[in-house]
Amino acid sequence: MTDELLNHPGALTGDVRPTASYTLRVNGVERPVTDAWIGESLLYVLRERLGLAGAKDGCEQGECGACSVQVDGQLVNGCLVPAALAADSEIGTVEGLSGAGGASDVQQALADSGAVQCGYCTPGLAMAVHDLLQRNHRPGEVEARQALCGNLCRCTGYRGALAAVQAVADAREAALEAELDAAEQAAAAGPAAEPPAAAPPQPDHGAELPLYADSELWHEADQLIPAQPQGETPRTGGYAYPPTPPHGTPVPADWQQAPGEPFGAPAPGTDPFGTVTYQDAGPYDGTVYATDGYGTQYPGYDATPAHGIRLPEDENA
Amino acid sequence: MEHGGNLVNRTIMLPASVDEAVEALAVTPGAVPVAGATDLMEAVNAGRLRPAALIGLGRITELRGWRYEDGGTAVLGAGLTHARMDRPDFAALIPALADAARTAGPPQVRNVGTLGGNIATAAPTGDTLPVLAALEATATLARAGAVREVPISHLLTGLDPLRPGELLTWVRVPLLHAPQVFLKSTGRSGPARAAASVALVLDPARRGVRCAVGAVAPVPLRPLEAESWVAGCIDWDARGAEGAVLIDPAALAAFGEYVAGACVPEGGAHGEGAGSAAARLRRTVAVLARRALGRALK
Repeated sequence: MTDELLNHPGALTGDVRPTASYTLRVNGVERPVTDAWIGESLLYVLRERLGLAGAKDGCEQGECGACSVQVDGQLVNGCLVPAALAADSEIGTVEGLSGAGGASDVQQALADSGAVQCGYCTPGLAMAVHDLLQRNHRPGEVEARQALCGNLCRCTGYRGALAAVQAVADAREAALEAELDAAEQAAAAGPAAEPPAAAPPQPDHGAELPLYADSELWHEADQLIPAQPQGETPRTGGYAYPPTPPHGTPVPADWQQAPGEPFGAPAPGTDPFGTVTYQDAGPYDGTVYATDGYGTQYPGYDATPAHGIRLPEDENA
Repeated sequence: MEHGGNLVNRTIMLPASVDEAVEALAVTPGAVPVAGATDLMEAVNAGRLRPAALIGLGRITELRGWRYEDGGTAVLGAGLTHARMDRPDFAALIPALADAARTAGPPQVRNVGTLGGNIATAAPTGDTLPVLAALEATATLARAGAVREVPISHLLTGLDPLRPGELLTWVRVPLLHAPQVFLKSTGRSGPARAAASVALVLDPARRGVRCAVGAVAPVPLRPLEAESWVAGCIDWDARGAEGAVLIDPAALAAFGEYVAGACVPEGGAHGEGAGSAAARLRRTVAVLARRALGRALK
């Protein structure tokens, strides 16, 4: 097969790296792509050129489904679509599922039903569940399994994902019924009844914000970053924001080094935070630090290391 | 877009008709025609193929459907996707092809993967290929100013291969209006490449059985002697009668063994024995062929 492909008249003739420029329409926003190699997959262009890292690169063979996106409403593997041929198509990615920062009902159901562990397959699963529920509002167990059969998950075993499909289908049906009931009651109240007030117009951020601002993850990441204290501005009244940097270690107010001291060089015996004293422990003195609870003592090593796997009991353990 | 406007960019061409595509292929002989791209991009991603230019065939809407001809032939567009072939209206037409399309892969692949791509790639595990071989389908190959018809089997075996500048446009399949079965054995319950597959169609008008075994060889294999033998064992006149037994169960089992013996060679260098890979494959093919004929005659 390899030889046949390399012998193809299109292979390795002329321009070694032919390029093309085109415009992709991703989640309703036009995104220009310039001078991209024509062999680049839609997945690569989305992730590396457009910064939409929601679709994941698993196998690049169409086996795993982690790169699932929608092209013209069809669920496809992003890794198997030449990006240049997807120009003028409507491309939907997992970033488009979550509205203005919040998780969509599909994503929330996946999280709630325990379908997320390492999370690598989750964007693809979310797109597959979204695609399934677009086409089939009330999928049965077999239909759900068939729809998700192209998404490999090596952590959770699919039960959570299948439960999420039913949860979303149930919730959407309940919401629809509630809406119909409300409409029925409004009709029963007579034509004199006031029509329900139109919902206040929602601010439309879609046009101004960069695409990744739609991403739930980016939104959450923004929430995690605390407001930085602005210079020496004194805080007036109320709660003084503790100057805790994102890495979580409180910094004493007087952390700055004395003038002339190079940054990063701790004073002998102290560190900048003044909490730990550096000491040269010297060569191993045979001290026993831990036991395994059965009387066996391992000099210098905890009985069970942090990764939870007991090491063999030799001198290299 | 005006005519030819899609052909200005020489690295990416998006023709809207067969004529435009053939013209583009003639102008740029090094270009690779792309339909679903599932096989092509797998090769590109793995570094086995670096196309000089791409001719996207997805805009050629005439190739994405099918039409009838002479009352007894369906002319399928090469751009017919597996997902489309899986739908009930198509399954009523050519059930074995619908079954093959249904098992060809996950929805993500079936949504874009096409019949023509399956033939052009000619992978040994291509699921539609044994069905087309059993149906004795023919392919229409178009080039600038010329069109020719080639049996699919000649195309796959390299007897009459695709020539430079030619585009696979249509696939002619006879409509037999009789039971057809496609069975496939895979390594796991989800979508996977076939370890062995069997397509079997009945041709009651000619009182024939046509069977093809896929994935055990580079091309689908037709056990012609087993076909003609088992056609004589079938009680064709009893077809349609209530509770009729059309074939002796012993003949069914013998047909399975006959097909397997014809398609899977002796173990050879790898040794022969009950546990050898060849023996297991032969048993798989035998079971598939026996079940396929049994279901077709049920």
